[in-house]
Amino acid sequence: MNRWGEKAIYSLSVLSCVLLFGSVAILLGYLLVKGLPALNPGLIFGSTPMVDALFLKRQVFDGIFPAMAGTLALIALAITIAVPLGLLAGIYMAEYSGRFTRSVFGFFFDLLSGIPSIVVGLFGFSAILFFHHHISESLAPCLLVSALSLAFLVLPYIVKTTQIALETVPQQTRITGLALGATRLQNIVFCLIPESLSTILGGIILAVGRCAEDTAVIMLTGAVVSAGLPDSLFKGYEALPFYIYYISSQYADQTELTQGFGACIVLLLICATLFTLAAIIQKKVRHTLLYRH
Amino acid sequence: MIKRAMVATVTLCTALLVALPIHANSLDRFAGLSGDLKIAGGTAHIPVVKEAAKQIMTLNPNIRITIAGGGSGAGIKQVGEGLIDIGNSGRRPSDKEITSYGLSLHKWAIDGVAVVVNPSNTVTALTQGQLAQIFSGKITNWKALGGKDRGINIYTRDASSGTRSVFWKKALKKGEIAPSANFVVSNGAMKTAVANDPGAIGYMSAGFVDQRLTPVALDGVTPDAASIRNGTYKVARGLFSNTRGEAQGLSKQFIDFLLSDQGQAIVKEKGFIPVN
Amino acid sequence: MNRSFFQQKRDRNETAARALLFMSALVCCLLVVLILGFMVVTGLPLFGQNQAMDLLTGAWSPHNGGYGIAPMIFGTLWISFLSVVISFPMSLGCAAYICVLGPHGKATVMKRCVQMMTGIPTIIYGFVGVFLLVPLIRNTAGTGSGMCILSASLVLAVLIAPTMILFFIQSFDRVPRSWLDAVDALGGSRVQKLVYVVLPACVKGIVTGTVLSFGRALGDTLVALMIAGNAIQKPDSLLDSARTLTAHIALVSAADFESMEFKSIFLCGAVLYLITALVILGARLIERRGTHE
Repeated sequence: MNRWGEKAIYSLSVLSCVLLFGSVAILLGYLLVKGLPALNPGLIFGSTPMVDALFLKRQVFDGIFPAMAGTLALIALAITIAVPLGLLAGIYMAEYSGRFTRSVFGFFFDLLSGIPSIVVGLFGFSAILFFHHHISESLAPCLLVSALSLAFLVLPYIVKTTQIALETVPQQTRITGLALGATRLQNIVFCLIPESLSTILGGIILAVGRCAEDTAVIMLTGAVVSAGLPDSLFKGYEALPFYIYYISSQYADQTELTQGFGACIVLLLICATLFTLAAIIQKKVRHTLLYRH
Repeated sequence: MIKRAMVATVTLCTALLVALPIHANSLDRFAGLSGDLKIAGGTAHIPVVKEAAKQIMTLNPNIRITIAGGGSGAGIKQVGEGLIDIGNSGRRPSDKEITSYGLSLHKWAIDGVAVVVNPSNTVTALTQGQLAQIFSGKITNWKALGGKDRGINIYTRDASSGTRSVFWKKALKKGEIAPSANFVVSNGAMKTAVANDPGAIGYMSAGFVDQRLTPVALDGVTPDAASIRNGTYKVARGLFSNTRGEAQGLSKQFIDFLLSDQGQAIVKEKGFIPVN
Repeated sequence: MNRSFFQQKRDRNETAARALLFMSALVCCLLVVLILGFMVVTGLPLFGQNQAMDLLTGAWSPHNGGYGIAPMIFGTLWISFLSVVISFPMSLGCAAYICVLGPHGKATVMKRCVQMMTGIPTIIYGFVGVFLLVPLIRNTAGTGSGMCILSASLVLAVLIAPTMILFFIQSFDRVPRSWLDAVDALGGSRVQKLVYVVLPACVKGIVTGTVLSFGRALGDTLVALMIAGNAIQKPDSLLDSARTLTAHIALVSAADFESMEFKSIFLCGAVLYLITALVILGARLIERRGTHE
């Protein structure tokens, strides 16, 4: 290969970096320029005084506080549902599955992680419609349905991280427990899981991020334009990504649009925080800090 | 853990909520009531319903009103299926829908469906024939209508929209809509799309028209409050709130509130024509 | 010797745990089957009135009883193919710069940045796309509304690039250290290392990564819904407005649940599901073939 060819390849690769990082930088810069003027307590609490809103003395109408609370409730619920199931399935995949089950189940988990989120949302929506017709009239799209659907969506992430985390525990650690007379189960519970806890936690936090950003699932399963703070599993709720989607198409005036940009920044900050948290946990946290028995 | 604690705090604090005394006659009907009210459907209704909900919930925090969009078709179907309490529609539900679901209709505002273009467009009057030709894709450039040399971008709504069904029947006379038309999901989205696209033509609730768009005079009549009220602008419809069976409890109070002086003032403020 | 009481208890625990873990994994897999089942069963009534081929290849004209989803299938394929075509060279260039061509010091930082990018919520790409890219495309192209296949593909390309880069990096990192050292020892340049050693060794990894990213582009709802214009037509040019299967589900699902239109979205769901399954299956096959060699 001549020198010009080499130079060309090198320049092309630099160019692609510039293109990608440049477009993301433009995206973020545009967001900041447009949204910064909206970043003030008014964005979150509207015309309600902050203290009153935080202590729930008064409801917030023009701010994104209910949407943030809705997103938070949604994440908490979805993760509470997905983590136990995903953890158990992940342990099975890593420790107990045979060659055949591993490859079959593995395919299903890959498939579940590949199914478009709108299809999962459609499933949740039609399932609740089915229950509405056949079980109880009072069932309708609501927070619980969204949380369940989201849990399906993030399940494969948790299974996969758990599986990989357990599989990458060094062989020596793995056999030490067994050599001391621990059963397979004891070895998993007292040795392997604590050892891989930080990786698993990191995976869970990434799943949280996925729940925070998803819009396609919740727009079919219960997110609404206006609902106030979430107070029941069986009602509609507001959510931050859905609010942004709504604003993008329906903003009434410039102030609302600026609020939409502000909401984008808030959502971005939430996701960035979660990501950084995941990175820190995966790196630094020692299992002894989090696991006592 | 932290999240659970927060949820717990939220639940606890909700229990401690106290009503703030606000004096307003029409709102007195909600005093002492509590419960949930689920509203969905027509997107033209949302600004009015949202404002009404705000006033009611400020007065009485024990009432919770959730509002969703979806379009008139969704509103009618969802209330018929019992998924929500009030289904809004920007068209009169069909007789079949009324009888099969046992709907009762409440019309609380009159609204025109205005044809809108971008303010930079010099074409501000069309005949019904020209409109039909534009939407069917036979006229594709504004030049043919005396405007600038610029392609026409058609914006339309999906089948669930009441605005679309009224526009299709009364303005297009059930004519065809070209398959190349862009679809938007709501009246608000139509406003955004047309306001940002110099070549756009679309149609939407007259109540939503503001300075970011130009309403087009149809057969010489501009859609405004006067022409819609006296019926010279033909492409008009009622805004309905439908309930399954007779409206009861909170639903009844809510609809009565919309029909009260205070409710009708909101209707007017949001750009629609009050019925009373 | 009789087995002690404790021994038996331990065995019972072990069996119970194994059963529980297996059940969890099984539940997760059944979920995947259940989702497909729901799509197929609910979509079935369509096949009663129309021929299956009509639905897949026919035009969409509900007024004439035509519920063909062909325009949406075309829209989906156009947009996802184009976004992969744009994203692939960019991602390959970036991955090459990070792993091979660029200075080692920058690599970790850039990799972290790319990881953070995967966490940017989709709705934010859509939001900025609507207000920044759409007017730009409209003014540059001079015709059309700016809501078109090109706009959606450009945004999607940036959206899937980080995932694709991480796939590529993962595969580059698997090239044995000794091979790279050999190039250095022979006095080869970095570009030569890339072209003659790393790329040939990673063909399978690159193909797998691209296929999986295609799956990601295929399943995205929000970007296409907000930017592609949603017209129901077979697109002829990049500046034509188009509707994807995912956007179709989002748009129609709010409508009338009894109608044939509503039932057709389950067919869309099933088609999306099957394409995803093919993508995953393809990626797995390529990977497996790689390990046999």
